[in-house]
Amino acid sequence: MDLILRIAGIGIIVAILHLVLSKSGREEQAMMVSLVGVVVVLMIVAREIYKLFETVKDLFSF
Amino acid sequence: MLLKLTGSILTVFASTMIGNLYARKLSGRPAELRELQGMLRMFETQLCYLSSILADAFFEISKSSKSPVSAIFYDASRILKREKSITAAEAWKKSVEANINNTSLNSEDKNVLISFGSSLGNTDLEGQIKNIRFTVEQLKIQEGKAEEKRRKNEALYRNLGFFGGLAAVIILL
Repeated sequence: MDLILRIAGIGIIVAILHLVLSKSGREEQAMMVSLVGVVVVLMIVAREIYKLFETVKDLFSF
Repeated sequence: MLLKLTGSILTVFASTMIGNLYARKLSGRPAELRELQGMLRMFETQLCYLSSILADAFFEISKSSKSPVSAIFYDASRILKREKSITAAEAWKKSVEANINNTSLNSEDKNVLISFGSSLGNTDLEGQIKNIRFTVEQLKIQEGKAEEKRRKNEALYRNLGFFGGLAAVIILL
């Protein structure tokens, strides 16, 4: 699946989960879900950034 | 592609079902507690006006309902009939412990039931009736708590199951 689409999907789902949890008075768990969402997205993005750095390194290493 | 699609649908379906299972357990508990109160009231009547013996009274009560909690009364009656040397309290406790896992009741409700059994057959009619009324009161309190919990969490579990499955699919895909 497209990277951006996937991240957007995770964002929407996490937002809904946060809403549902905090509405029923479970603020801590809502916080936890948001945090996990951020970490998951960060892990996906970190891989891409690594690829970018590799590309840049390849470009300038003669 | 088709495989992925099938897998995603199955995952979402399974997690939705898990959510539904929890929600149903939550909504089953108040209903079963109400059922139990009705049965205990019936038991009171049996003791007061019919003066039936315990095993017969339990059997009659268990016939009155199809709810899973009626199995407690049925088993207690069967144990009392089968084992001659057992006390009523022991038979009741055994039956509660054997059947509690088939119901939606939790350990708090179980303690109320067992403490009801412990003074079963120890006192005169007056004391028995007081015990029954006290237990009904306690069950009513439990029912209030269970209802509160249901109201707060039933929709939550349903949504959580569905969206959790969706999140898993998106992350894994």
